[in-house]
Parts: sequence; C-alpha cells; structure tokens
Amino acid sequence: MSLTRNQIRLLIGAVIAVLSLVVQPRMSAFAQELFAEAAILAIFALSLDILARSGLVSFGHAGFLGLGAYAFGGLTVLQNWPAGAAVFVAIAIGIVVGLIVGIFAVRTSGAFFIMVTLAMAEMFYSWVFRSPIFNGADGMGGVPRLDIKSLTGLDLNNPVSFATFCIVMCILAWIVVEFIAITPFGRTLDAIRQNPNRISALGGRVFSYRLAAFALSGAIGAFAGVMKVQHTNFLSPDLASWIISGDVLIIAVIGGMGTFVGGIIGAGLLVYLKEILSSNFGHWYLFLGGIFIFVALVLPRGIVGTFLDWTDGRRASKSAPAATESET
Amino acid sequence: MTTLETRKLCKSFGSLAVTQDVTLTFASGKRYAIIGPNGAGKTTFFNLLAGNLRADSGHILLDGRDISSLDVTSRAHIGIARSFQRNNLFPELSVLDNIAMACALQQGIAPSFWKPMKSYTGLRNDALAVARQVGLEDDAQIAVRQLSYGSQRQLEVALALACKPKVLLLDEPTSGMSPQETARMDHLIKNLPRDITTIVIEHDMDIVLEFADEIVVLDYGRVLEQGTPAQIKASSIVRQRYLGEEGQAVGSRAP
Repeated sequence: MSLTRNQIRLLIGAVIAVLSLVVQPRMSAFAQELFAEAAILAIFALSLDILARSGLVSFGHAGFLGLGAYAFGGLTVLQNWPAGAAVFVAIAIGIVVGLIVGIFAVRTSGAFFIMVTLAMAEMFYSWVFRSPIFNGADGMGGVPRLDIKSLTGLDLNNPVSFATFCIVMCILAWIVVEFIAITPFGRTLDAIRQNPNRISALGGRVFSYRLAAFALSGAIGAFAGVMKVQHTNFLSPDLASWIISGDVLIIAVIGGMGTFVGGIIGAGLLVYLKEILSSNFGHWYLFLGGIFIFVALVLPRGIVGTFLDWTDGRRASKSAPAATESET
Repeated sequence: MTTLETRKLCKSFGSLAVTQDVTLTFASGKRYAIIGPNGAGKTTFFNLLAGNLRADSGHILLDGRDISSLDVTSRAHIGIARSFQRNNLFPELSVLDNIAMACALQQGIAPSFWKPMKSYTGLRNDALAVARQVGLEDDAQIAVRQLSYGSQRQLEVALALACKPKVLLLDEPTSGMSPQETARMDHLIKNLPRDITTIVIEHDMDIVLEFADEIVVLDYGRVLEQGTPAQIKASSIVRQRYLGEEGQAVGSRAP
C-alpha cells in the first residue's frame, strides 16, 4: 500500500471528521463547548490557509472574524433580521470587504502584506471599540443562534446539537477548500505561491488571482465569525483584536501551513492546551508560547507538514527513482 | 512580413545606457540569434521585448500594433513568450503539471473553480504533447526539484512553448549545460515549429551559426552589426570587436 501525499492528507481529515462526530455527543457538556470552539477556530484557520495557498500570509485575519460576527450580530440584534438571512449577508460583506481591502493589500506581499492586513484589522477593531451602535468596548449580548429545528430537528441552543452543527460546518468548509485547491483556480494559486513571476510571464494576472483568494478567504473568515458569535452569543471588539490574528496564525503554522487539515489539528490543540493550561496555571499563555516554540523547532513544517514529508521520504527510499504523483 | 519591430528603443540604469537606439525588425517565421559580449544588453533587450522592463523611450510593435505600454502579462496574452536564463519553474510540481499550468493559463482555463483540473483531459493531452516536443515525456511525472539541470532547461523552453507564442524568446537555452545536454538542446531548438518567430540569445557559436537565419550583434547596448550568418562571419567590425582579432569565436571551433 502506498498512498500519495494528498490521499494521506485527506485520510487524516476524514478520520478527524468521523471521530469528532462520533465522540463529541458522548462527552460532557463542557467538552462539547470545547468541540464547538475548536471547530469554529478550525474554520477560521482554513480561511487563512486558502489565502496562504497563493503565498500570502495575513496578520489581520481577525478583521474578517470580527466583521462576520458584527455583521451577523448587528443584523439580528439591532435590525431583528432572521438569523438565516443574516448569515448570508455577513458572508457577502466578507467578500465585498475582502475585495475592497484586497485591492490595496494584495499588491504587496511578505512583510508589507502582514503590515497592511494588520493595519486594516486594527482599523476595524478601533472602530467597533468606540462605536456607540455596537455599544463600544462593553460589547453587546443577546446574539441568537440559527433556528434549524424545523429543518433538521437540531435545537442549536443545546450544547450537543450546536457542537455537532459546528463540526458539520467545519467539514463543509474543509470540503470547499479542498475542492477549490484541486480546481484550475486552486492549482494556479499554488503555482503563484511557488513562483509568481513565472505566472505573470505565462500570462496569468497574479493580482486578480490573489484578490479572488483574499475575497474567498474573507468569506470563510466572516463565516467563522458568524459561528463564533452564535457560540458566545456575545459581540465584543476582542473578536477583531490582533491577538486573535496571532492565534490563528500560530494554529496554521503549528498544524502545517498549506495542508488545510493541519489548521484543524492546530485549532483542536490550541483549544485543548488553553483549557488544561489555564485551569492549572495563571500565566498559561507563557506555557502555551513555550510549547509552540518547541513544536516549531522540532517540526519546522508543522505537525501535518512534517508528517507528510516523513511519509514522502519513506516512499522515496522504497521506490527509487522517486516519482511524484501527477496532479494534472 | 514583420511580426515584431523595435524603434529607437532606449533603456538606462542610472547613467549606464544598456540599450541605445535599438531599431530592429523580426520577420514572421524567421529565426534570429542575438550575440554579443557579456554586458552587451542582450537580456535587457529581452526584458524590454517581454515587458519585464519598460523602455525609457522608443517603441515596440507586434504585428504593427504599439505594445510599448503593455505589461508582461498582457504581452504574454498577445503572443510573446520567453524562457529565462536562470531556471524559473514551479519547483514543487511535476514536469507535466508545470506544462499543464502554462497550458491552462494560455487556454483561459486557469480561473475556473467549479471543476477539478483533472477533468480537463484536453489540457493533459496538450501538456503531454509539449513534453514530447521537448523530449521530456519520460520525465513527465518527476517533480522539478528532482529533475536534472539539463532537463530543467528543457522544461524552461517547454513552458514558453506551451504559451503557443507568435514570438518565442529563448535566453541562453544552453547556459550551464554539459556537452551532451547542449547537443539535446541544440536538437530541440532546431526542431522548433517553423511558424514561430524565434529569437535566441546564445553564446555557443556553432548553434548560432546553424540555427539563425539572421544574427544581430549587440555591443554596449547598440546594434553593432546584423546580417546572415555568412555576413556576420565576414564582417570586419564583428571580427574586431567580438570574435577576436584572428576571426575566431571565443570558445568555439573555427567556422
């Protein structure tokens, strides 16, 4: 048996999906809250990773999370919109803002892209922090969850149902990004990451592809925000703070940038470690930081990335000359 | 019929004039070689033609249309493709996927996001045809980073060919190659389709003299001489400045 790199990646994702769906309902209500939190964070990490496909690493991704959360919260609480419609409008706002911000941001790359995205997210943060509409720094409660009882029989105000819903949404988001990655568009993003100049020379408009990736990333990021604010029922400027942008970046890097499933594992790990560390230590972020530095040193390409490299190595030693699978 | 034309093309880097009043015409379907000592402005001239650099003054025309203001991507769209002096590939993709990427961009398939790339079977066949054309069909599944240097040079040409260009610019296709690899590349470029206007920058005079219908000699950014291989060999000014006083090309057999 010799699975390709891609097949192993998909297998890991499928195993996590099935395990989560089976195990989660059998656990305590508290653990179910953690499952929901991890699944939402995983969706957020996926939105960062699809952008990273094109070679852009954002340090302002909490902007999209906050945007989705505030759009959903604002529409449902302040405008009394039905939650279902608010979900779609929040995602649409994520796309539109992604396009507008992207027009400026994706002209840059590397450290400049990091600075531009960070600045944009901080602008949003300072706006909602002071905005009287959203009750500023104090935030705003009473954000409802989706009502899908008549459709599916799940009452989302139930921890077990909500966690299941979050896991299913995460699986859907994962399928979406995995599918896009194998389309010509996704392949082009991957090629842009490897060599943007050659794409230009071959007639590909790097700016347009990256802009589209940024908008897609904005849509998924906003969706993660919609889920997040349904989970906590509470709007807070902290959703858009740079600390959240840092968290999701750490998650993606620790899990393995560009592997998608790595972000999901990273999200689970962060939520779990946060929980056990914060209940035992006061300065738990210090310990978390130490653990992540250790992982980054030992596994430079992240957990999943390093594991896949290791399986590559084994395959190569078994069958020389090593041939890669064709992804055409 | 003229395909590509430059009129009084100039480019300076600071006070260094690397392209000076270069006025040339390239007839469709003919083969050209650009020669000249290191620093003569050959690659800069390619960068100007392909749009990697913008000229300070002067014009570039493709089929009579002024394309001076178009960027590199737009020029690729209208049929100017180039290979690079240093390999400029997608290192993590296989040979076939590298070519398929170029084909997907050329055919306008690249932006589509509703169907897996695999389902475009035409694309795969086109990529295979290009791989065959450059002699890489046996290496089609190998990742670029595992490919020998010489084969990477062949792939460099393949990517440009996959663009189905009107004008093909090859920047030192044999640079850094072993004699065997050079022989393969020589074979490859001689068998390029005759309908493509091909311009090659090359130091190997054996290849140049056999390949080119016409040779342009650049020196200090100026056109020193142009003509058929026979005319260039006979030109006293070229002998003096480039081929060496004894009329023998440096690093080359006597013609």
